[in-house]
Amino acid sequence: MNALDVAISALKAIVILVAVIQVVPVMIYVERKVAALIQDRPGPNRVGPLGLLQPVADAVKFLFKEDPIPLNTNRLLYTLAPFLSLLPACLVIAALPIADKAVLFGKEITIQIADLDVSLIYVLAIGSLGVYGILFGGWASNNKFSLIGALRSASQMVSYELPLGLATVGAVMVYGTYSLREMVVLQDGTLGGFLPNWGIFYQPLGFLIFLISSFAETNRLPFDLPETEAELVAGFHTEYGSMKFATFFMAEYMNLSTMAGMMTVLFFGGWHLPWITDQQVLDWVGSQNLLCLIQVVTYISKVAVFLFLYVLIRWTLPRFRFDQLLHLAWTNLIPLGLINVAVSAVLMYLMRGPA
Amino acid sequence: MKEMIFALFSIITLLTGAGVVISRNVIYSAFNLVLCFFGLASLYLLWGATFISMVQILIYAGAIVVLFVFVVMLLNFEHSSERSQNFWIILGSGIGSWVLSLFLLRVLSNTLGASPYQSAAPTNLRTVSKLLFTQYLWPFEVLTIFMLALIIGIYLLGRPESEGTQS
Repeated sequence: MNALDVAISALKAIVILVAVIQVVPVMIYVERKVAALIQDRPGPNRVGPLGLLQPVADAVKFLFKEDPIPLNTNRLLYTLAPFLSLLPACLVIAALPIADKAVLFGKEITIQIADLDVSLIYVLAIGSLGVYGILFGGWASNNKFSLIGALRSASQMVSYELPLGLATVGAVMVYGTYSLREMVVLQDGTLGGFLPNWGIFYQPLGFLIFLISSFAETNRLPFDLPETEAELVAGFHTEYGSMKFATFFMAEYMNLSTMAGMMTVLFFGGWHLPWITDQQVLDWVGSQNLLCLIQVVTYISKVAVFLFLYVLIRWTLPRFRFDQLLHLAWTNLIPLGLINVAVSAVLMYLMRGPA
Repeated sequence: MKEMIFALFSIITLLTGAGVVISRNVIYSAFNLVLCFFGLASLYLLWGATFISMVQILIYAGAIVVLFVFVVMLLNFEHSSERSQNFWIILGSGIGSWVLSLFLLRVLSNTLGASPYQSAAPTNLRTVSKLLFTQYLWPFEVLTIFMLALIIGIYLLGRPESEGTQS
């Protein structure tokens, strides 16, 4: 590995990370606008045309607000917690395959920060570390509401990691690899001539379990028990203000985009257009870089659909009770996940024969 | 380059490992433990063992220490972290861990040369799975049954008393 490769890797990491962070202002705007739409009110419409500059105004507000540290808190962990929750959210992005490859300066550059052979486990492993920010933040705040929110978050995220992992086992069995890039490559073309060759048609139940668990993993409604406004004030971030609070929010939105990206990659063909193979697109546009651009746009559109689904569900479904939430994970989703794995194994044996 | 990275992560692992033992606050101990597991995972990565490294983070840092912290926060150990002053306990645990580390070093130095990872760096996961399901299938299956027995035992210990009297 020479200096040029290192430079390209570093540049790729910076560009992709900065690009993915842009999901935060967009999501702030979309969330507020869709909430307003559903609740039949105008929503943000003062700053800029259609209120489009509202996220900028919010960011400026957060930056200039006083940054208080409440009395009797554990200062070290209180300050560290927002970053502990943002760091894993940023690290996870490294494994997501956004597009195939571009050719720049005579070098092939894959649009993915790191192509690990265990990238699926990498995403699950690093994603599971996000709980520490919430846990330490809630504990260090020295506030009972925060502590209860943090404890809820811990038990919820540990519980829902299991169905999340089980849901991906089916996909791993179908594709025979742990590499997210290879999975996307295998989803090119059509299935039986009339369906896109996407994971959801092989693993419908796996996708459903993954979708439900992803809501709980990212603390979104209907599973946002760590922050329930109605009972815990604001849960683990009750005592946080200004940019520290905003950091928690950035982490939440980046986790959302990661989950949406994982669903796209595992079950919805990643960067592939439906029914059209990459080779056909390449023949039409005639340039690898244009194809790459189309792939990036396709990937972003698919992620956007899932993000919109998250927002829609947040503003339409009521919240679960905490025992219902854990009950759903341990007595419904985990057995369903195990059944999914067993049935997939038997079906694969019958259809493909012994491996 | 590689030696520098190795040194860096070794130092992180050792320092945070010492921090686990030295910290007076149990939460700091847990936090150090997470960092220690991170350092270990990085060392595994340097060795080419990507799978073990990821599993280390997923299981230990992502689940087990979360439960530690969960229990510590629930029970609020913060004001009751007085250390044991008993000389014999300190001496005994010191000698015990010294003997254990010597034993582990002996075992490791025997097997280090013949590591399955070293010959198979590029297709690591496939190699590990193949070994696990062919050469080491028998120990693997025995371990899974052992784990199942553990889970059932924990359930029996932890279930409510009223259910226990009926059966």
